[in-house]
Amino acid sequence: MQAKLGDNDTLGIYLHVPFCATTCDFCAFHQEAPSRPELDAYLRAMEAELCLTAPVGRVETVFFGGGTPGLLGVGDFEKIFAALQRHTDFHPVEVTVEFAPSTVKADKARALRELGVTRASLGVQSFDEKLLEALGRRQSARQARQAYDVLRAAGFENINIDLMFAYPGQTAEAWTRDLDEAVALAPEHLSTYCLTFEEDTALWVKLTEGGLRRDIAAEADLYQLAWEHLPAAGYAQYEVSNFARPGFACVHNLNTWRMGRWRGVGPSAASQDAGWRFANPADTPKWREAVLAAEAPLASPPPWAVDCVPLSPDLLARDALAFGLRLNNGVSLDELRARWPEADETLSETERFLADLVEEGYATLCDGRYGLTVEGRLRVDAIGAELVG
Amino acid sequence: MAGTDHIRNFCIIAHVDHGKTTLSDRLLEQTRTVQQREMKEQLLDSMDLERERGITIKSHPVSMLLNHEGKDYLLNLIDTPGHVDFSYEVSRSLAACEGALLLIDAAQGIEAQTVANANLAMGQSLAIIPVINKIDLPGAHPEIIENQIEEVLALPREEAIRASGKSGIGITDILDAIVHRLPPPRWADYPQTRVLVFDAVYDAYRGVICYIRVFSGSLKPGDEIVFMGTGKRTTVKEIGRFSPQMLPEESLSAGRTGYLVTAIKELSEVKIGDTVTHTAEPAKEPLPGYKEVRPMVFSGIYPLDTNDYGKLKAGMAKLQMNDAALTYQAESSAALGFGFRAGFLGLLHMEIVQERLRREYDLDIISTYPSVVYRVTTSDGEVKNIDNPLFLPDPGETEKIEEPTIRATIHTPNTSIGDILALVSEKRGFCDHTETVDAERVMLVCTLPLNEILIDFNDRLKSITKGYGSMDYELGDYQEGDLVRLDILVNSEPVDAFASIVHRTKAESRGRALCERLKEILPQQLFKVAIQASVGAKVVARETLSALRKDVTAKCYGGDITRKRKLLEKQKEGKKRMKQIGKVAIPQDAFVQVLKTSGS
Repeated sequence: MQAKLGDNDTLGIYLHVPFCATTCDFCAFHQEAPSRPELDAYLRAMEAELCLTAPVGRVETVFFGGGTPGLLGVGDFEKIFAALQRHTDFHPVEVTVEFAPSTVKADKARALRELGVTRASLGVQSFDEKLLEALGRRQSARQARQAYDVLRAAGFENINIDLMFAYPGQTAEAWTRDLDEAVALAPEHLSTYCLTFEEDTALWVKLTEGGLRRDIAAEADLYQLAWEHLPAAGYAQYEVSNFARPGFACVHNLNTWRMGRWRGVGPSAASQDAGWRFANPADTPKWREAVLAAEAPLASPPPWAVDCVPLSPDLLARDALAFGLRLNNGVSLDELRARWPEADETLSETERFLADLVEEGYATLCDGRYGLTVEGRLRVDAIGAELVG
Repeated sequence: MAGTDHIRNFCIIAHVDHGKTTLSDRLLEQTRTVQQREMKEQLLDSMDLERERGITIKSHPVSMLLNHEGKDYLLNLIDTPGHVDFSYEVSRSLAACEGALLLIDAAQGIEAQTVANANLAMGQSLAIIPVINKIDLPGAHPEIIENQIEEVLALPREEAIRASGKSGIGITDILDAIVHRLPPPRWADYPQTRVLVFDAVYDAYRGVICYIRVFSGSLKPGDEIVFMGTGKRTTVKEIGRFSPQMLPEESLSAGRTGYLVTAIKELSEVKIGDTVTHTAEPAKEPLPGYKEVRPMVFSGIYPLDTNDYGKLKAGMAKLQMNDAALTYQAESSAALGFGFRAGFLGLLHMEIVQERLRREYDLDIISTYPSVVYRVTTSDGEVKNIDNPLFLPDPGETEKIEEPTIRATIHTPNTSIGDILALVSEKRGFCDHTETVDAERVMLVCTLPLNEILIDFNDRLKSITKGYGSMDYELGDYQEGDLVRLDILVNSEPVDAFASIVHRTKAESRGRALCERLKEILPQQLFKVAIQASVGAKVVARETLSALRKDVTAKCYGGDITRKRKLLEKQKEGKKRMKQIGKVAIPQDAFVQVLKTSGS
């Protein structure tokens, strides 16, 4: 499945579902416990936002993220799908829903599959009970395996499993066991996330209070372990944290890394469209009220938008380079020049640095594409910092 | 009051902390020159920095009136700087006097500096009154000090006065001795007017104010005068005495001490030690001892923030107005940008200038490794003075390099002699002779290359002797040395700020120390960093700073792009404030830290 990436006529839509049953220790995402009236108000606002913003272009990918989108009922999904169909040029090639293992139910899974959800992303994190407890996840490894089986039985042919690693003290053996467990389930896609310590998370509090210590070298080793282990098991790495069987890379996310267009709907959702990069307010009532109070036609960015950054060819080209290097496939300067001819000079300025990367063994230049080596990928942020401006 | 019999010009010489300023204050009180309520602690030290460090940098004269046995006396106290960096200024202050109070701490005894200054005073035929100060302190043992006075200074022990500036003991005895034991002004009958300029300060409103001692003749406002050393001609605008504030007088006659204001606006036009005489009837020969002071120690001074160059330039100019001994000229460094090469009388002088730039001009500065002035003879016979390692000619073009030496007088407890001799030898010096001070202390007279004492010699001396050792030095001759330039290279590119001239035998150890220090200080970077020390093409030390192990964000999706970009921009912005040497970013404070600790 090849998407028309970088095509200005297409876009991806991200729908944020800000609800969870509980909060995991590592999570800094916006979420709150739902009630029915709250859910209904949320859905009205989601529909209103889609109607008001009515993004121009062919919608090829949809991604329900959260929070725990799996908390929504089938009827809720139907309303959102109806709104998508009504207000956008809706021709999805990939529709992803994130599930927490505890929210996966057989009838709901079947209904969503029939509604047009093509891809299920299951937040397993780990099969290690001790680790799960430490992460504050209210689930068991058995529950995760059951959820996976239910999704498969419901007809999902594209399933992702999220794993987390580098919890302080985690050994290479423990991480290998988790990877093997995941591979044994034979999903089409795997995302492996190095635990990050974000402020406002219980984990961060634990760390700062001295209960936990980060070990950068150990993190690097565990990264590399996954990078070697998963390809050997048939999952090609295509991004720092993402692996897939051939043809199953996440189209929606590839569009992001390549600086395509995307629209975020819902609280805290981010957009890059119509000349602006911006985000919706993270506070659900604030977002909801702003959206419900707004009137068409809307200018871009919408009045409730925060963190607004105007897009320019230079910004997009630089970011396509900085974030594109996260991809194993790398970046071709010629392709970027073709997409943003005005950024030609900016791109040329980066060539000296890119040559340094090659010389230093952090990158390779192959058929006009710069791609990072393992050593380069481990330092992709430091490399990105040199490229952003 | 006619004649000069009632005048006494004297100074106080002492080691740092032996109580000179407190004693001076007590004299001012006793003579009612200053009322007690006006006394501020350490009245005579006017700069904050001096007060804080408890040292006197500039001399401040003051005139006191004393009625003694029915007769009025005018006592002029000329306060002298207490550090060897200012030994020329000390010698000029001494030249303005006929006698000196030699102050010795009753507990600490005679220190190297006391001996050095006493010798300076005796060399100028000054009458010496030894004063054993702080006799009321618990650790005081005046008898031992009296032995030292006899043995080390060869002065009769009976002449010593026991005193305490703090509690006022012996002050009357001291005043009595000043009147009776110090001679009246000398050379007063010279046929023409001769006036010694023993110091000068800059005043924003009045220009240059000279501190003067009239030896013969007299000066009054309106007099046409000439500075004999520089040939500068000008007119006396104001003349007066210090009480201790400046008080104008109608004239100053032979024997008097005071100040002189002329039309001169630039401190650099007045040379300390110069002789002033009348233009119409000039003296045939100037007063003895005048010489031009030359800076001995040089260092680059750069603004931490390159945007502050203008501010630094203004600060240097203003400082020089108050400090004629400071010299500087613009220079630039690949690593540090635009700055100045500054020359100082010595290390203390250097520190004081740096500290004043920081405090009084609110500047963050980096100073490079200090250098002495090397005398280089090139193959074609040309002799060059080199004060910046970067300008040292290639070995192929060099016939010989000579370096300045010092003659150091080191006082140390007996128990530390072995360690001190080892230190002297480590610093390429040798001991000429030793003298016993008393049962517990010895004095070593050593010759050392000046560049070896630039950084940590005094600290090491203090640490070896647990604070009991002291050192003083005077400049010696130049001597030939096997000297080389030590370069520090970061990823094969030389960092000029770290270059230094060292003895060949020291190149490796110093190179290694610098490389190790740099490796400690530099943050890990995207690329690995090779840090090398080299002499010419030969690498004498090498360290490798490994690349940062990992710098990667796991999750980076649509919603993360803006935040991530901000973080990357911040990361990049942080690097912009560093000095870029090839692919390596060196934080500004790394220069400071390396230069601070690169001594050993």
